[in-house]
Amino acid sequence: MTDGEFEAIFEEHRQAVYQFAWRMTNSSSSAEDIAQDVFLALFRGDAEPDRSRGSMRALLLGIARHMAWKRWRLDQRWSSLEEEPLPSVSPLVEHLGTEQAVSAAVAALPPLQRETLILATYQGFSLQEIAETLGVEVGTVKARLHRARENLKRLLAPHRPGSMRSVTEYGTAK
Amino acid sequence: MEPLNDRELDELLKQWPAPLAPETLAKRIGRRQRGPWWRWLLTGSIRVPVPLALALGGALMLLFIGVRGPAKNFARQSPPSVFQPVKRLEPRIIRSSYEANH
Repeated sequence: MTDGEFEAIFEEHRQAVYQFAWRMTNSSSSAEDIAQDVFLALFRGDAEPDRSRGSMRALLLGIARHMAWKRWRLDQRWSSLEEEPLPSVSPLVEHLGTEQAVSAAVAALPPLQRETLILATYQGFSLQEIAETLGVEVGTVKARLHRARENLKRLLAPHRPGSMRSVTEYGTAK
Repeated sequence: MEPLNDRELDELLKQWPAPLAPETLAKRIGRRQRGPWWRWLLTGSIRVPVPLALALGGALMLLFIGVRGPAKNFARQSPPSVFQPVKRLEPRIIRSSYEANH
């Protein structure tokens, strides 16, 4: 990969990679570190673009996800990566502003649900793209996304929008 | 409390914007990308195809055996009988001038 090709990829995807890492970690410094590692891995050739595995963005976010998980494992933040235990409703969410409440509720999701929801809602990935990025079946993605949304519906119930004007189909994976 | 419906949830999820990537990210990438050439000697890595790595390993092993081989032969061909005892020992005693005068 030439310097020019690398710079074009960086310019095109840096926001997506950084914002994905930011939402996954809830930390600006961690997101910056992860984004840096993702692009340097690409530059060094540690991550060869594989057209059969989807788009460049899917490849980069797949690396970002891997690096975020590595950090979490090092921090031992999760005793279990499985998605079965449902998050409990935090009373704090009720007293937060809407933005902080959404952030806290997404952070409270089990990690497999969280990454699926972020890819679907904020990266606009299709179920197929998510499946390719995560290396799982489409049916698994559907199930995780459904559970994530059901959990959020319950967690964020205290923040029910007052009026529902012109709601678009924003962020819903087709 | 009654859970949200899909539309209400989507409305709320829209209200969690992520910040833009900081400019420092580009600087960090650029700095690492264009680091000094000698850094590669410390941190760089190269990819070597397995057949080539095996061939190089074999060549190194042969070279090692080749270097060590003659030494073994020399040891085998040089029995202790080659070393003859000194027939006539005439040590030369050197005295200091102080010793000679006193």
